[in-house]
Amino acid sequence: MSFGHRVEKGYAVVELRGDVDLARSPEARALILQCLEKKNDLLVDLSEVAYIDSSGVASLVEGYQMAKKEGLKFGLIGVSEAALNVLRLARLDQVFPIHADLDTRIADDG
Amino acid sequence: MELNRPSLRAIGNEADHDVVEQLALLAELIQEFASSLNLDETLQTTIERFMMYMDAEAASIFLLENEDRELVCYKCVGPVDIAGLRMDVAEGIVGKCVREQACQMVRDVRRSRDFSATIDHSSGFATRSLLCAPLSVRGDCLGVLELVNKRSGDGLFDPKDQTLVRVLASAAALAIHNARMADSLVEHERLRRELELAREIQRKLLPAPHAPYFPVSGVNFPAYEVSGDFYDFFRLPDGRIYFNLADVSGKGMNAALLMAQTSSLLRCLARDYTDPGKLLERVNQALCETASHGMFVTIVSGYIDPQSERICFANAGHQPPLQRGCDGSFSEIPAGAPPLGVTPETEFPVSEVSLAGGSLYLFTDGVTESLTAERKPLDVAGLIGLIERMSELESSDQLENIVAEIRRPDTRQRDDITMMLITSRCHQLSKKLMERRFPAQPERLQDVRAEVRSAALLAGCSAGVVAQIVLAVDEACTNIMQHADEGDYSGEILLEIHNNGDELVCVLKDWAATVDPGRIQPRSLEELRPGGLGTHFIDELMDDWVFDEAPQGCGNCLTLTKRIT
Repeated sequence: MSFGHRVEKGYAVVELRGDVDLARSPEARALILQCLEKKNDLLVDLSEVAYIDSSGVASLVEGYQMAKKEGLKFGLIGVSEAALNVLRLARLDQVFPIHADLDTRIADDG
Repeated sequence: MELNRPSLRAIGNEADHDVVEQLALLAELIQEFASSLNLDETLQTTIERFMMYMDAEAASIFLLENEDRELVCYKCVGPVDIAGLRMDVAEGIVGKCVREQACQMVRDVRRSRDFSATIDHSSGFATRSLLCAPLSVRGDCLGVLELVNKRSGDGLFDPKDQTLVRVLASAAALAIHNARMADSLVEHERLRRELELAREIQRKLLPAPHAPYFPVSGVNFPAYEVSGDFYDFFRLPDGRIYFNLADVSGKGMNAALLMAQTSSLLRCLARDYTDPGKLLERVNQALCETASHGMFVTIVSGYIDPQSERICFANAGHQPPLQRGCDGSFSEIPAGAPPLGVTPETEFPVSEVSLAGGSLYLFTDGVTESLTAERKPLDVAGLIGLIERMSELESSDQLENIVAEIRRPDTRQRDDITMMLITSRCHQLSKKLMERRFPAQPERLQDVRAEVRSAALLAGCSAGVVAQIVLAVDEACTNIMQHADEGDYSGEILLEIHNNGDELVCVLKDWAATVDPGRIQPRSLEELRPGGLGTHFIDELMDDWVFDEAPQGCGNCLTLTKRIT
């Protein structure tokens, strides 16, 4: 199951799906960095993520850090239960902006 | 010759007619015996019809009782009811019929020295002639069929009557014999059911199979329906474990009852004692008061402290337990006192051993005295050989396998076989749930996770715990793939998962250059950076983890431990 991305309402949205482990996190990382390189504000959709490990989380951290450096917006939307458990374990639920979906995020952006 | 033929035929026809009539009657009576569901009634109607056919005044059936010393009238027809009448086998013509196991025909009783007139005197009946045939089956006499006083002709019985009586007596004897066999089968079946019940009760006195990895396990295979051996173990409220293994002298029901008594006493009293010697003293006194003369119990009975793995026990005349040290050496710990139930003043000295990574084997003589393929007793040396062969197995599998070797299918088991094994924690590890060797390549991880998930579910972990174990193992594999041999490791990973009862133990081994265990530390989360989270995850998710050089000094070994509940 390959990852997808789209541009919607001013955000690049990267859709991660299935298992995001050492085998597939390089692909996730590349996709995230690629969007940021295009100077897009970025949201990562984790609603279809069944499993994520530290390598997958590392891709998110890297994206977060790069966005910050580039002055771009970054956030997670639709975080699945499995993904949220792992983010909590890394205390990253307190670091990443997390929203239910794109519209909620936009409403929050004001 | 020609001329004589018609007359011969006429005579022949008359004789034929008689024989046909007799055969018809006999066939009918025999058929009634064969189809009878109620022998009492059938015998009664048989002698009535037989008496009529034979034209006798009375008929009766006598059966032997009281160890064949007495004849009792079982059925009778005629003017005087003598049913229930008893007479000595040494007396009368009926008695003579039994003694000689032969027909007796007395044409005139007044001229017979054997005739006893007792019945005639008391009843007023006048016996003139008698015809008796023994009721015999395969040489065993069951009683007598008797006919009294022929009415017709000269009032005397003739040899033709004698033949008929003999034939009917044989058929009646067979019917009585069969009915008795049927009764004894019913009785046998009742006893069998009672034994089965006794066995069931006994089985319930043995401890239920424990949670796996309990330090004590036992097996008991009775030689007969009920066992004189028993064993027991249970945890006491203070955390200690009480155990015993015993052999009651004798076999069968007596032994089984003493077994039940002893085992119940121990079960009640064990919790009140800390000194196994004092416990046996108390039980010995109780048994000496009540046990039947000449019966005794040999027993090993003691307590285990599961923390220190120290065992204290007393041995009353039982086979010395075998201790197997962690180095594989064996030593016998001999008995210190006579068996229970012999004399109330006995003291039972206490032995103390430490499991120290080893095991303690308890067994009855049914084990050591069982015959090997060479028809020689197994002995302690033979048992040690079996233990050595099976020592890698988990406790209860080990016992089952040893007993399977002892209970040879070609030999009737002569004695109850009972064994108990007390093992150190380190042997209780482990039931291997999975073992997988795979190349250290990320694309293998998905399959590995699926397998770990199944293993953890199989061990009874909750969904949450399963997810934690899967993530921790994944992180450990990821660490090897990313960091072993400075990120260049292209070898394999060996993953084993063991269930040691309360915990799931995951062992990961690689063959990369050994890493200083001190370098494997979870990092602080204060610092926000992409790498180094894996070890933190493992630390957070697992109850315990140990990173070390692999045994044999080749590669690294990571052991992750997670409580199942």
